[in-house]
Amino acid sequence: MFIIHCPFCGEREQSEFKSGGEAHIVRPRQPTELSDDEWAEYLFMRKNIKGIQFERWNHAHGCRKWFNMVRDTSNDEIKAVYKMGEKPPIK
Amino acid sequence: MLNYNQSLPENVLLQDLQMKEVKPIMKLIVRGKKRDFFSAIGKSLNMLLPAEANTSSQSNKLTAVWLSPDEWMIFSNEPIDESTNYYETEELLNNNISKLNLGAITDVTDQFVMINLKGSKIFELFQSGSPFNFNDFQNKKGAVVQTILAKIDIIIHNQDKNIVNLFVRRSFSEHLFSWMKDAASRL
Repeated sequence: MFIIHCPFCGEREQSEFKSGGEAHIVRPRQPTELSDDEWAEYLFMRKNIKGIQFERWNHAHGCRKWFNMVRDTSNDEIKAVYKMGEKPPIK
Repeated sequence: MLNYNQSLPENVLLQDLQMKEVKPIMKLIVRGKKRDFFSAIGKSLNMLLPAEANTSSQSNKLTAVWLSPDEWMIFSNEPIDESTNYYETEELLNNNISKLNLGAITDVTDQFVMINLKGSKIFELFQSGSPFNFNDFQNKKGAVVQTILAKIDIIIHNQDKNIVNLFVRRSFSEHLFSWMKDAASRL
């Protein structure tokens, strides 16, 4: 269990949040032109990094807003939290 | 208000804690982002929606609580007429906001149950089943939080010292009330 700083509500406990998987995955502009492999790559394949990972989170039991988070998956340290549509503050 | 049976059958009186359902209370969810939306609400209701997170604002008849950056709940300070589903405030906002496409107004009077808690042990009760840190919250009059109590989504409005309004969805209200009754008996 850890504390997450919701960009809208402030500090809340992790149990109020839902993880939404990897962030910054761009939907292909012309899905019909993709091969099955490329489409499967977009739909299903996700990085599973040990280290710094960019993720989407949802404050499901609070303001119900989505936001992005940079988290170190090896120790759950949250490096940054930023709103949807914003660029990651760290690379 | 629709012709529901009373959701919570009794008032609970314990030492230092009193819990009862207050009904019928008109409740509306208002959503909007545009600048015109805020001014239309201000003109219609003669009150401003709270812009700061986790706060509320109040007029003589209504209270508005912050739920998210573009969502608020407005509820009546006093119980309304039980025999009707017509709410003047809703009609007013529908005309001044929904019909002009400035935002959305949803009547949630019958979706939410308002439980009024009084006493010095309110936050001890909440702390026994919620992950939220109530230390600062309990001293802020008008503070609002959406969180979990006994795994149930709730909205808490800190009305005054030792007086709190709690909103819970109707289908969960009976279970939550019996949980609170049980938890309060062992404080």
